[in-house]
Amino acid sequence: MKRLQGLLRTVGIDPERLHFYNLSAAMGPRWAEICNEFSEKIIKLGPSPIWLARQKKKATTEHDE
Amino acid sequence: MIVGEQKPLEEIWEMVKRHKQLTVFGCNTCVAVCHQGGNKEAGILASLLRMKAVQEEVDIDIVDSGIERQCEHEFFDSVRDLMSRSEAVLSLACGIGVQFVATKYETMPVYPALNTTFLGDVIAVGHFTEKCQACGDCVLGLTGGVCPVSRCCKRLSNGPCGGSSNGKCEISKEIDCAWQLIVDRLEALGRLDDYEKIPPLKDWSKDRAGGPRSFKLEGI
Repeated sequence: MKRLQGLLRTVGIDPERLHFYNLSAAMGPRWAEICNEFSEKIIKLGPSPIWLARQKKKATTEHDE
Repeated sequence: MIVGEQKPLEEIWEMVKRHKQLTVFGCNTCVAVCHQGGNKEAGILASLLRMKAVQEEVDIDIVDSGIERQCEHEFFDSVRDLMSRSEAVLSLACGIGVQFVATKYETMPVYPALNTTFLGDVIAVGHFTEKCQACGDCVLGLTGGVCPVSRCCKRLSNGPCGGSSNGKCEISKEIDCAWQLIVDRLEALGRLDDYEKIPPLKDWSKDRAGGPRSFKLEGI
């Protein structure tokens, strides 16, 4: 994962956006907990530069049309 | 095998961003072993370049693919169509593969994604060291399997220099003295008398120093 986070850093994406969690299919409550925790973290980090660039491109294309 | 290291992403991006279409092309033999240029690495690199393109608002269509080896014609049969549709190729092969692609597709720009570094082996997972310099006049039979051309910093042919200390080279404490390794190996083989033998003069004309080399099999 360190390697992948390093690669994300080279393209300007916060490596905190990627995380691996280890759990089994029987750990339902833990899965829900992880989903909530990670979602909150991502919401706090805000939109990624890729999403922002895509939105900008979409707006420019719509404006041209 | 041939070992290479991927160039920094910025350097690669500067080379290729002028194109409207790019094929990121992996080689699944030597450079895949060192996790730098295989077909998987081509996929990863293509992904990173697409992310860069989106962020920098550069309009470029990036495709990734690869073959077993980029140094033989036969392996290119399966990608004939892809090559005919490509505007430019970013080759993750060693320098040999990059040149082979460039020669094979004369009018297509080919860029190297790797810096080819040395011929070496895998001493541990992820750890590669130089073991051969392709000198063309192999003395490994006399030196107990340790190469003084590639592993001695001075390429000495007749024993260690005065800088050999505690089995290490004077250049760096991390480099083993090749001649110490040779003596140790010959001792283990019970052939220390080979160390006393004066080898014939090395024919350096067979080395790269004698010009680019080629080899042609007769009767094929």
